[in-house]
Amino acid sequence: MRRAAIGALAAVVVSAPWLVAALVPRQQRYVLHVLVFTALFAALALSYDLVVGHVGSLSLAHPAFFGVGAYTAALLATRAGWPFLGALIGAALAAGVVAALVGVPLFRLTEHAFAVGTLGLALVASVVANNWVEVTRGPLCITEIPKPVLGVPGGPALAITTLPGHYWLALAALAAVVLLYRGLTTFRLGRAFHAVRDNEPLAGAAGIDPLKYRLLAFTIAATVAGGVGALYVHYLSVMCPEEMTVALTVNLLVIVFLGGVGSLRGVLVGAVLFTALPEVLRLAPTWRLVIYGTLLLLVVVRSPEGLESLLRRAAR
Amino acid sequence: MTPIADLLEQLLHGLTLGAMYAMVAAGLALMLGVARLINFAHGEFFMLGAYAFWLGYSELGLPYPIAALLAPAVMVIFGIVYQHTVIRAILPRSWHVQLIATLATSIVLTNLAIIVLGTQPKEVPTTLSARILEVGGFRIAWQRLLVLVAALVIFWGLDRFVARTRTGRAMRAMSQNREACAVVGVDVQRVTLVTFALSAGLAAVAATLVSPLFNIFPDMGTVLTLKAFAAVVAGGFGYVNGAIAASFLIGITEALAGSYISYAYKDAIAFVIMIAVLLWRPQGLFGRRIGI
Repeated sequence: MRRAAIGALAAVVVSAPWLVAALVPRQQRYVLHVLVFTALFAALALSYDLVVGHVGSLSLAHPAFFGVGAYTAALLATRAGWPFLGALIGAALAAGVVAALVGVPLFRLTEHAFAVGTLGLALVASVVANNWVEVTRGPLCITEIPKPVLGVPGGPALAITTLPGHYWLALAALAAVVLLYRGLTTFRLGRAFHAVRDNEPLAGAAGIDPLKYRLLAFTIAATVAGGVGALYVHYLSVMCPEEMTVALTVNLLVIVFLGGVGSLRGVLVGAVLFTALPEVLRLAPTWRLVIYGTLLLLVVVRSPEGLESLLRRAAR
Repeated sequence: MTPIADLLEQLLHGLTLGAMYAMVAAGLALMLGVARLINFAHGEFFMLGAYAFWLGYSELGLPYPIAALLAPAVMVIFGIVYQHTVIRAILPRSWHVQLIATLATSIVLTNLAIIVLGTQPKEVPTTLSARILEVGGFRIAWQRLLVLVAALVIFWGLDRFVARTRTGRAMRAMSQNREACAVVGVDVQRVTLVTFALSAGLAAVAATLVSPLFNIFPDMGTVLTLKAFAAVVAGGFGYVNGAIAASFLIGITEALAGSYISYAYKDAIAFVIMIAVLLWRPQGLFGRRIGI
């Protein structure tokens, strides 16, 4: 029953471009665009949840890693002429290396101070993106980033030019992130993550070094965020400093905390709700942030497990 | 201008910045010490205080001293309302919940301010900010002198308040052991409320003092919260005088770096200082184990 339901859902998700073409032919492009965004945000939110939900470190630096990946990919593709897969791997590695480097001093901070330190990092990253004009072109943005071409040099190549193509690419990336998320959070490693989250002194006493596992989750999450950044710029073909502001942090917090911290299903539901809904309602960004903030406040105060707990209760 | 006069001017500029950061950071440190709470919406107290001052001074045409007293009074009330609505609900909860709730409040306040007041910066020049004191080629606006003198008086008063008065002693006691305070009959709720009112008032005083020198805009609070928090962390977690000292260090470094190194990156200085201090002394510059 459960397996059948998941299979049906997967079939609907994979065949979404045709369904959209059949159901809403007039707004086909717009709906597909929202779907691409939803898939990319879901992947980004899952990587964020690895840190927030599974090792319990409230990092607010995720936009910085997303931005490092996005800018690396944009620069590699436009200035160095790297192929898509090379730029993608380069972007993910760059974000991961940055995270490992800044993670060492940041994890000397505990709890609140860690959160503030990471928010400071996000702010510095955004200041750099705006002001390091020789590299990032600042507010002029990096433009004309080529569309992704899948394939190895010398072999057959598949250019992604259509919207359905972008959708399937984003979906494949999301599927890869889902598998990675499951793999990291279920087995021995996942139990170590949860031990660190739930009782740090006890985990330490049991020989599970909290710092090591936190840094590992932080670096992996940043690597994924960097990869998502690369996909994002290759889809939009432009990268601006506004893509990595505090507004992105708020988006991720809303998706993860309203969806359900530390829960695959919760984060996916959150990503669908809070990426698609504001697009459909066509909210102005300021109003969206006011509503998001109020919702976040109400939900963390009233029901900290997020919508996931409501879903679970409804399922019973 | 001679290089020496230029350096002196930048130092004074840094002291003004430091005074502003210190008034915001002192409030943050008080809340952290007494209630074990990080208020991410603290910079928004400053922002709202600045707009209250702008409303009183520029729009209603009140004289400077009255407008400068009105804004803190408004923000004290705002602090009390905030304590009653948001803080009371999250105080018993985990720090995750507290942090996200206050961050959410900050976002709501910033964006409501954008909707109501627009993104166009407001300028509130006063007679004191336009009048310049000139001593041997060295120039300083009277408003900056006012900021420095007022800051000295305020920090002295705050120190006396925390050290001597009954409420101040209760605040220090609560920063050491909240449960024991409740057991021996300290009115924990009232002291928390006083702390919030005082912190909000301090942020608004800073706003009325420096607004004539800088522009007022809706999202100035976020960066200010972060810098003030960097000062709190660098000064020793929740230790008020340490936070004040670190704020001045950040203000002066920022002014000098902004003038001699790079203006564009001056906002990053506070975090560089914070990280450097934490690598060198993880407990902060003046860190102790307990207490405000």
